[in-house]
Amino acid sequence: MQIIISNSSKEPIYEQIYAQIKKLILTGELQEGQSLPSMRQLAKDLEISVITTKRAYEELEKNGFIYSIVGKGSFISEQNSEMMKERKMKAIEEKLLVAIQNAKEMDISLAELKAMLTLLYTEDE
Amino acid sequence: MLNLILKDILIQKNILIIYIATIILYLMVNVSSVFIVFIYSIVFVLSAFSNDEKDNANILLNSLPYTRKEIVSSKYIGTLIFTGFFMFYTYLFDFLLNGKEVAVLWKEILLIMGLVMIVISFILPISYKFKTKYLTIFMMVLFAIYLVVVKSFFPNFNNLVKTVVQNFMTVQELQLYLMISLLIVLLYIGSWMLSIRIYERKAF
Amino acid sequence: MENVIELQHIQKSFNSFQIRDLSINVKKGFVTGFIGGNGAGKSTTIKMIMNLLQQDSGTISIFGKSYKKHEKEIKERIGFVYDENIFYENITLKDMKRIIKPAYKRWDDKKFQHYVEQFELPLNKNMKTFSKGMKMKASLAIALAHHAELIIMDEPTSGLDPIFRRELLNILHELMQDEDKTIFFSTHITTDLDRIADYITFIHNGEHIFTKEFYKIEEEYAIVKGTLDLLDRETEQEFVALRKTNRGFEALTANKHRVATVFGDTVVVEKPTLEDIMYYTKKGW
Repeated sequence: MQIIISNSSKEPIYEQIYAQIKKLILTGELQEGQSLPSMRQLAKDLEISVITTKRAYEELEKNGFIYSIVGKGSFISEQNSEMMKERKMKAIEEKLLVAIQNAKEMDISLAELKAMLTLLYTEDE
Repeated sequence: MLNLILKDILIQKNILIIYIATIILYLMVNVSSVFIVFIYSIVFVLSAFSNDEKDNANILLNSLPYTRKEIVSSKYIGTLIFTGFFMFYTYLFDFLLNGKEVAVLWKEILLIMGLVMIVISFILPISYKFKTKYLTIFMMVLFAIYLVVVKSFFPNFNNLVKTVVQNFMTVQELQLYLMISLLIVLLYIGSWMLSIRIYERKAF
Repeated sequence: MENVIELQHIQKSFNSFQIRDLSINVKKGFVTGFIGGNGAGKSTTIKMIMNLLQQDSGTISIFGKSYKKHEKEIKERIGFVYDENIFYENITLKDMKRIIKPAYKRWDDKKFQHYVEQFELPLNKNMKTFSKGMKMKASLAIALAHHAELIIMDEPTSGLDPIFRRELLNILHELMQDEDKTIFFSTHITTDLDRIADYITFIHNGEHIFTKEFYKIEEEYAIVKGTLDLLDRETEQEFVALRKTNRGFEALTANKHRVATVFGDTVVVEKPTLEDIMYYTKKGW
């Protein structure tokens, strides 16, 4: 599990770890049931304080990405793809609402917006 | 606590050799063995004490798992042990070099021990209470007196001491001995308690 | 999470200085950095924790025990690294070990040897010849050799070069793999704490200002910069301390979120360093 943290980023370190582990889980690089390094081991590897990795793990656990067993460690949770999809849909919905809001402020029509969306979506293909 | 006593020996282990060598020298010029043991025992204990004061060793000792009571007690018990140690060596060499008979030994032992205990009873609480500067000065003065006295009254001083010791040896009253011994022991214990109290209140 | 050190309502008066109503908890399994300016009371607090001096009133408990009844027991489990020299100068490290080893029940010669080798310390040279860094390493080797659960360090890196300080941090990181170990580390080189401290305890003028998780500090504290016209009686209250210049103001706030609501986008908000916090707290006092 490769994690890179930046000391100069505005994002707190525990958030960086949270985001990176979450990504690894969602992209499938970390499999269900796989064990994570102990928070102390990770702290040592990244040369950061233990409380930082502890916080990151707590956030991951809170959001259902990992679970911990006392004395054994932390493991990747079963990622229910229905739940994941639902979560992603919600996130997309929120972002779209912001885009729509911005569009309305500048009198950009729905058609223009749709065109932009299509362009961006197909850009990478 | 035994370890604290060993510590006092360990930190002076290099000088110990000098002590023993000079004891032999003094014996060879016929200095009274009582005087030798008396001076060396006191000097040894006070050196150990002053070593603890410098280099912040006191902070080390009080950070280790020792109680203040133990630290003080190691000095009081150590004194008795070191005196015994010097006594043994001095008499051994006195016998080897001067063929001194060990006839009325126990009275001499009592005399030396008593004198050492009296002196230490006074010096230690004072040293615990005040700075070691005074201690070092006292030791230097003591040594200076000793050297000066040896130089100027060389034969006389030794004879004087020997005469006094002789007189002491001829006193027969057992009861007197016991009473004085008891008083000295009480003095020593009193000083011990006082030193503990002083040391327990100390801040480092 | 238990507390390894608990200071409750400690009072200590000296001629020129006072510690009043100091209450601090140090959590087990973590590194707590102890910061404060010179004369803030750090060394005094550490001496009280080590029972080198007695408080006027208040209680101190280490491992849940008091010194009155459990002095030896407590000290068996503490390792200490001080700023000043505490070794007998005219003997060797080997002899120092001979003196110290019998004091501890849990002394581990193998471990001592291991650290002496790792730290490259000479066993047969007089302590007098040891540099400050070497003395610090010697203290640490001793602390680790008797399986100390609590390691108290008073300015362990002052006067040491940056490379050495990094090496020390690596050693501490290794140590903290064991969740039963606790480190209490006073320093005024706050950058040392950035990499290792879990909690920060900040003391100023004999008073405990805060003990917080390291990440919480950047969540709550911030440096705020803006133009002078933004300031008035009310807004100045938002800050711990304020510095005004011709070009604008710079201030420390202990409540980042409030500043965001009060000032919005009109100010620049930055992450504070521990130094900033210490500096502004002193100004605002």
